[in-house]
Amino acid sequence: MRIVVCVKQVPDVAEIRIDEVTHTLVRAGVPSILNPFDEFAVEEALRIREKHGGTITAVSMGPLQAKEALFKCLAMGVDRAVLLTDVFFAGADTWATAKTLAMAIQKLGYDLIICGMKAVDGETSQVGPEIAELLGMPHISYVKRVEVEMESKSITAERMTEQGYQLIRATMPCLLTATKALNVPRIPTLLHQMAAKKKNVEIMKAVDIGAQREEVGLPGSRTQVTKVYTPQYRTGGGTILTSENLPNAVATLKELLKKERIV
Amino acid sequence: MMVDENSTGIWVIGEEKEGKLAPVTLELLTIGRQLADSLRQELVVVIIGHQLEHMSRLLVDYGPDKILLVAGEETRYFIPETYSEVLSALVEQRKPFAILFPATYDGRDVAARLAAKLGVGLAADCTDLKIDEAGRFVQVRPAFGGNLMAVIHQPTARPQLATLRPRMVKPNKSGRKVSPSVEYIKPRISAKPFTKSLLRTVREVAEESGNLDEAEVVIGVGRGIGSSENMRIVNHLATLLKAAIGGSRGVVDAGWLPHTQQIGLTGRVISPKMYMALGISGAVQHLVGVRTAKEIIAINKDPEAPIFKVATFGIVADMFSVIPLLAKELEPPAPQTT
Repeated sequence: MRIVVCVKQVPDVAEIRIDEVTHTLVRAGVPSILNPFDEFAVEEALRIREKHGGTITAVSMGPLQAKEALFKCLAMGVDRAVLLTDVFFAGADTWATAKTLAMAIQKLGYDLIICGMKAVDGETSQVGPEIAELLGMPHISYVKRVEVEMESKSITAERMTEQGYQLIRATMPCLLTATKALNVPRIPTLLHQMAAKKKNVEIMKAVDIGAQREEVGLPGSRTQVTKVYTPQYRTGGGTILTSENLPNAVATLKELLKKERIV
Repeated sequence: MMVDENSTGIWVIGEEKEGKLAPVTLELLTIGRQLADSLRQELVVVIIGHQLEHMSRLLVDYGPDKILLVAGEETRYFIPETYSEVLSALVEQRKPFAILFPATYDGRDVAARLAAKLGVGLAADCTDLKIDEAGRFVQVRPAFGGNLMAVIHQPTARPQLATLRPRMVKPNKSGRKVSPSVEYIKPRISAKPFTKSLLRTVREVAEESGNLDEAEVVIGVGRGIGSSENMRIVNHLATLLKAAIGGSRGVVDAGWLPHTQQIGLTGRVISPKMYMALGISGAVQHLVGVRTAKEIIAINKDPEAPIFKVATFGIVADMFSVIPLLAKELEPPAPQTT
């Protein structure tokens, strides 16, 4: 069983601040982390390997420093780590990213592909299903439980919906996208982390996956970001009442609910 | 890639479940009508499913020029691989300018597969869609936990795809007097492309507690609730407010709410008219999920809780003393006996 896990290095979104004067994103000092949803994907791959055997390859597209995210995957226990890094890959949107990853995965070999349900920076949830489409395989998104049946080469998974879940079966090769409900990822020990740093992160460039310049990166992208800005959210300034006269505070709240036509 | 300059029409892909039309479909039609009017193009709504005869009367008032109902045994259940294949065939044949999907679990799935199949762009989870002065389709979407907004164009490929978050616009009847044409289409699946089947659909959230995406009022519960038994008093309040119930990561991890109800960075992003945070401290990881709520009501006994910094109204008090009082205020008066 060849499992490929797609991962991404992202800024720790919870640490991002907006400069109140310039209204720009303050990224300095914001740590880069392995995308939290990818940790669930890696963990699930490890559990499947523990049960059914096989090998796990973690693959990422990004700048050279994205190696750090792959070291974490190695520390968690994946067998192999591949970084797709090339100036040609820069500026990729989801389509170009999916295309690049699909071309690499084709080279790496696969029976099962697991992605996080989304990256917390781009937040599109698109790359997983797009890879599946490009590789001509079914996908099950937003999974919260996965069962692998080796004999029938099939996956049975619970896919989260707005109000519950669907139980879906698909034959392998197949792609899954992981939610937080799937598992609790292991925290690698310091020893494992140190050992991982000594392991090799393989580098693959456009030429290694057979990608032409115009089909990847910015030239291969179909969407263009023409402008970015920081949105203005409310900064409070609302009426805050104390519990001193609670019945009065609650009555005020009721008035507000009435004014907003909620009751 | 060459842009087909002849591509025309704004398409809205509706969502139908168990015979019901998801409200986000009407929101998409409302915004789709604006786009179509700006471009002087037609607005087409596509519904894929099984028995759809009753659908057109639910859609007519919202301004579509054309209603396409793709109904058949093959599309009885939502399978994104099948739905995207059906759409791909229609797109190749009719060449629309743009296609709008709901940013729901299903909508995102089918939009992504269709984009990859056609090799076109897709702007995900948009909060606004418009046409600029040059007649270009502009998509606005948040990223980095809502810290940044990106303005997106798709100059090189047609159709241009976008998913729109629920509750970004109010469904608006178009008032048009023209009645749309209705076309029934049998789904054509080339071969059975994948072996994939839906075995069962399970509901974990009570019918009356509503959908987090659709509810006008959402009650958010923090760890302070203390136990799943205590959820009962929240349920009662939710019934009175016709609210959906979500919660912080802590509440979900404790097993007091199903995972589908987690709000925030590793959960869902919602845009209700009112978010009532009960015992929620307001960590950034949670707040990114409710930033687009119109009103935030905070009830927390800790006056320093960050939730008060974003609240439009707050009470510094123990939620267990506030909830019963509020419930009592909201309960219908007992019938008068004479």
